[in-house]
Amino acid sequence: MATYDFVFDGLGLRNWCGSSGDDGGGMTSMAQLLAETSDEDVVASAWETPFPSMDALHEACPAFPQSRELTSGLEEGFLSIKDSLKVVVDPLTQPLSWALNEALWVMQVVPWFVMIPLLMLIAYAVSRQWKLVGLVAICFGFLGFVDYYSYTMQTLAIIFVCAITCVLLGVPIGIAMSRSDRVQRTMIPILDMLQTLPPFVYLIPLIFLFSVTEPKLYGIAIILYAIVPVIRLTDLGIRLVDPDVTEAADAFGMTKRQKLFNVEIPLALPNIMAGVNQTIMMSLAMVVIASLVSAPGLGVLVLRGIRSLELGVGLLSGLGIVLLAIILDRVTKAALARINVSQSR
Amino acid sequence: MKRIIIGAAFAALAAPTAALAQDQCGEVTITQMNWDSAAIVTAVSKFLMEQGYGCDVTAVPSDTTPAMTSLSENNEPDIVTELWVNSAGDAYQKLKADGKIEELTSVLDPGGVEGWWLPTYLVEAHPELATIQGVMDNPELVGGMFNNCPDGWGCRIVNDNLIRAFNLEDSGIEVFNHGSGETLATSMAAAYQSEEPWFGYYWGPTTPMGKFAMTSVDLGEYDEAVHAANQNADAADPKASSFPSAPVLTIVTKDFMGTHPDIADLMSKVTFKTDTMSQLLAWKEENNASNEEAAVYFLKGNPEVWGSWINEAATEKLSALLK
Repeated sequence: MATYDFVFDGLGLRNWCGSSGDDGGGMTSMAQLLAETSDEDVVASAWETPFPSMDALHEACPAFPQSRELTSGLEEGFLSIKDSLKVVVDPLTQPLSWALNEALWVMQVVPWFVMIPLLMLIAYAVSRQWKLVGLVAICFGFLGFVDYYSYTMQTLAIIFVCAITCVLLGVPIGIAMSRSDRVQRTMIPILDMLQTLPPFVYLIPLIFLFSVTEPKLYGIAIILYAIVPVIRLTDLGIRLVDPDVTEAADAFGMTKRQKLFNVEIPLALPNIMAGVNQTIMMSLAMVVIASLVSAPGLGVLVLRGIRSLELGVGLLSGLGIVLLAIILDRVTKAALARINVSQSR
Repeated sequence: MKRIIIGAAFAALAAPTAALAQDQCGEVTITQMNWDSAAIVTAVSKFLMEQGYGCDVTAVPSDTTPAMTSLSENNEPDIVTELWVNSAGDAYQKLKADGKIEELTSVLDPGGVEGWWLPTYLVEAHPELATIQGVMDNPELVGGMFNNCPDGWGCRIVNDNLIRAFNLEDSGIEVFNHGSGETLATSMAAAYQSEEPWFGYYWGPTTPMGKFAMTSVDLGEYDEAVHAANQNADAADPKASSFPSAPVLTIVTKDFMGTHPDIADLMSKVTFKTDTMSQLLAWKEENNASNEEAAVYFLKGNPEVWGSWINEAATEKLSALLK
C-alpha cells in the first residue's frame, strides 16, 4: 500500500482517484522490480517515508498526475505556442543574423595585409601605447603563422558584433535599473539566471523557433550570457556618482536629461568601461559553447581537438583564444586607464 | 548503554547494504554512454550483475573518446559497452594491438545503422526522393540543405568524402555542419514537428530514430574497400558507397577478464537485436519513461531473452522474475 493513501481517503477523494493499484500504463520502476526479485514483502519503515512528491501521491491515487506529466505538459505547451511566438521573435532578432553574417563576410573578405594593420591602428587609437600595438601585431602574426588566421577572424567578428549589441542593449537597461529600485529588484534575479542557466536549456527551444542554420542562434547564446556585467556595472556606476555632484547639478537647474548625459554617465564611465571589458571577456568565454550551436571560429577547432583526441589542435586553438583574450583585455583596459586619467585631471 | 544502542542502530542500517555487496564479485565499473540505447544496455547489465551475481556495480557516465582515454591511461572502467568502433578511431586499434582489452560481443545485432535520412512523409509525397540521385535532382524538395555531422565525429569524415563523391554541393544542396549532436537531433525534431523537409545524416538505434519515421536514402551499393577509404580525411579519390551496419561492441579489460570470468561470460551474451532496441526506445519516448524504466520494461517483458544470458546460480537468484 502506498504511503499517502490516507491523504486521499481523509479528504474523501477516493472515488475521484479511481481504483488504486493500477500503475499508469504498466510502468514499473527499478525499485518495484527489485522488490519482486526478493520474494519477501518490503516493509517500509518510518525512516524511509518518501517526500510527498507528485510521484508518491500518484502511487496512492492514480488520478493524481505524475511529475513526468508536468514535464510533457510543458513540452506540449511550448510546441503549441511556438508558431505564434515565432511570428514575434523571429523578425525581432533578424537584424542580429544580418549583422553576424555581414561581420563574418567583411572579416574574411578583407585581406590579412589590410586587416592586421587596421587592427593595430584601432589598438593605437584606443590605447595610445606602442607596446600594445606590438602585442597585437605579434599575436595576430603568430595565429596567422600557424594557419589559424581565418578562424581567429571569424571569432573576432562574432565577438565584435555581440559585444557591441551587448553595450547597446545593456547600458540603457543599466541606466533604467539605476533610476528605479523596482526595476533593479526585478532585473537582478533575471541577471543571476542568465549567468547560471546552462545555455543548452534555452538554446534547444530556440532551435524550434528559428533554425539551427541561423547565425542569430549563437549570437543570442553569447549575448544573453555576456550582457550581464555591462548592465550590472552601469547600474553600479550611476548609483555610485557622488550625491553632492548631482545636488550641484540640480542647483544649476539642469534637466534630468542634461544631468544624465553631462554629469552621471561621464562620472560613471570608468565603471561602465569595466563592464564593457568584462562583457568582451565573457563573450570570448562563450566561443566554445557557441560552437556547439554551429558558430564558426576557434571554438570549432577546440571541439574538434577534444572530440577526436587531437590534443595538439585542442591546445593550440585554446592558446589562440587566450591570445585573443589577452589582446582584447589589454586594449580595453588601456582605454579604461585613459578615461580615468582624463577624469582625474 | 547509549553507545550500545547507537551501535545496534548502525548495524541495523548497515545490514542490507552488506547483504547486497557479496564478496564473491566485488566492485565492477561499467560505462554509461550519454545516449539512450547505451543507458538501457547499462541499466540491464547492472541489474543482472547486481541481482544475479552479487556485484557492486558503478555506472560511470561517459562518452566514446573519454572512455578510450580512460582505458588506455588508467585501465578503467572494467567494462565498456556500446562502443561504436568506427568512431573510437586509432585509440581503440592501439588498445587492441597492445592486448589491453578483449572484445566480447556485438551488443547490438546486427549493429548500428547509419545513413542519410529523409522524413518518411517526404518520401511518401515524392517517391522519387528515395535515391540520392532523386534528391540531387530535386534539391528544393529536401530544403536545399544537408545536415552534416559535427566536427570531430567519425561520420563527419565519411560524409565529407561522400559529399565530394556525389558532388552534392554542385546540385544546389548546401552542406550545413552542425556544432553538436544536440543541434543535429533538434533540427530533425523541429522539422518533423512542422512537417518541413529535412535531409541529413543520423544513426540508430537512437531516440529520434525511434520517435520519428525516417526513410534511409539509397546511396548505392555498399563497397567495403570504398567505405574503408572514405574513413580517411580528404581521401584522394572518394567514391560512393552506402553505410554498412556499424559494429557496436562490448569490451572488457584483460585484467577484468582474468579476475571475473563469470561476469565476462555474462557480458559476452548480452546482445540486443537492433529492432528490439528501436522498439524499446520508441516505447520509452511514447510513455515519457526514463532509461531505467525502459530497462525494467525490457526485463519484465523478455525474461526468455535475458534468462539465456545468465548462469545457473544467477538463474536461481532471479527465479522470481523468470517465472
